Amino acid sequence: MPGVENCLQEAMAIPGAIGASIVDYTTGFPVAATGAAPNSDHDAAAAGTADVVQAAQSRSLFVSAIPHDLLEDLIITTAGGYHLLRLVQTDFDSRLVLYVWLDRVRGNLAVARRRMQALAEDLVAT
Amino acid sequence: MKASKTAAPGRLLTQAAGERQTGALVVGGQPGGTVYLTEGQVTYAESPAAPGVGELLTASGRLAARTWQAALDAGTSHARVGPILLEQGHLTQGELELCVLGATYDAAYFALGPASAPVEFLAGAAHWLGRIVQVDPAAVVREARRRGRLLDEIYPHPQLDTAPVIPVPRPPVERITLTAAQWELLVHADGQRTPADLAQLLGRAGYATIQELRRLAALGLIEPPRVRERAGDGPDLVRPPRVRGTAVDVPRPARLPGDGPTVPIIVGQRPAPASGDPPGAATETGPGYRPPRLARRKPGAKLPKEIAADTTQMHPGTDEVLLKRIRTALKALR
Repeated sequence: MPGVENCLQEAMAIPGAIGASIVDYTTGFPVAATGAAPNSDHDAAAAGTADVVQAAQSRSLFVSAIPHDLLEDLIITTAGGYHLLRLVQTDFDSRLVLYVWLDRVRGNLAVARRRMQALAEDLVAT
Repeated sequence: MKASKTAAPGRLLTQAAGERQTGALVVGGQPGGTVYLTEGQVTYAESPAAPGVGELLTASGRLAARTWQAALDAGTSHARVGPILLEQGHLTQGELELCVLGATYDAAYFALGPASAPVEFLAGAAHWLGRIVQVDPAAVVREARRRGRLLDEIYPHPQLDTAPVIPVPRPPVERITLTAAQWELLVHADGQRTPADLAQLLGRAGYATIQELRRLAALGLIEPPRVRERAGDGPDLVRPPRVRGTAVDVPRPARLPGDGPTVPIIVGQRPAPASGDPPGAATETGPGYRPPRLARRKPGAKLPKEIAADTTQMHPGTDEVLLKRIRTALKALR
């Protein structure tokens, strides 16, 4: 049964991972963080993460009208890296997102995405 | 144990944490709260305005109320409720940690938010949940302040956070878009529930609730705070209970046309009551008026014996049972 620390350690084991965190996107607060963050600031990275998730969830362009067709993940690509945001679905009330920063050269987007899906599911699996 | 004094809760927490203390920082006032320290690290916090771990887990249906109660019964005395839930496999470590972290930061916002409040540090006190997470107190204090600022950026009216939530009867715009959380709040806001009531009812974080309510107020969908201030000055208004049951027609004797006038016509001169007489005396013989069975008594005076005996016969069974139940209930309140 993995805890939060364990989950972040495994996220850092994803090839090319530079930093990882779990962010509360209502407040833009890093509940837990490890490794590096853009501009070496986990707090600022969390606030930015929250803005991106909220934008994707509130702009009707990205919001599906089909019931239960919820936002799963977001990928932001820069010349140097990938920023992967995966929503953690808990049964109880929370608004959490797993964030992994990946090196563009060493990282593999498909592998990272699948690993993050497994991590987010295992974190709350029964 | 220090005596209760008025201070900045955040500063006192940092101070207690610096001394690596174990105990509970109890913050009074509205809504107040308690922050638990274990060897200088924050391990839990609770507040009436923020649903606790139990409410979050049971309101969402993640745990059956029975399961939660069983863990409480087994673990409260040893402060091991959290570990018991994990050992019995009801929750994963990750879930419980995330839930406790969320509840802790949520309650800490309410406990540490006020700049000054009556505070008391109970050394040695531990929470029954047990040690599931530990958080740097400085981070908790910083986050509580930051959350306060975030709310003011949305809509700077803190009065909204504690007053009953009153949706506007008519939206001020032609078309409105709501998030799922906002819809839930508006559906359950009945004009009486406060944000804390709504958070407990829905099993949603107290801060997230307030945040959505401030957004709704900014959109003009819930009554602005100044309207409520005016309402608060007047007498307390109580909503009368809704009328139950259905209306029934009163049976009246059918009248035939030509039966005579429907309104009785007074023919003779009405005798005017003499000025000294009591108002009832002149009409005492009239058919419409029945004199009272009892003379006016002083408050608390006993009934005459024959009538007092009469009343016990008049109300057999049910009323006596009801009175006994009321008496037992009143005794239980003492």
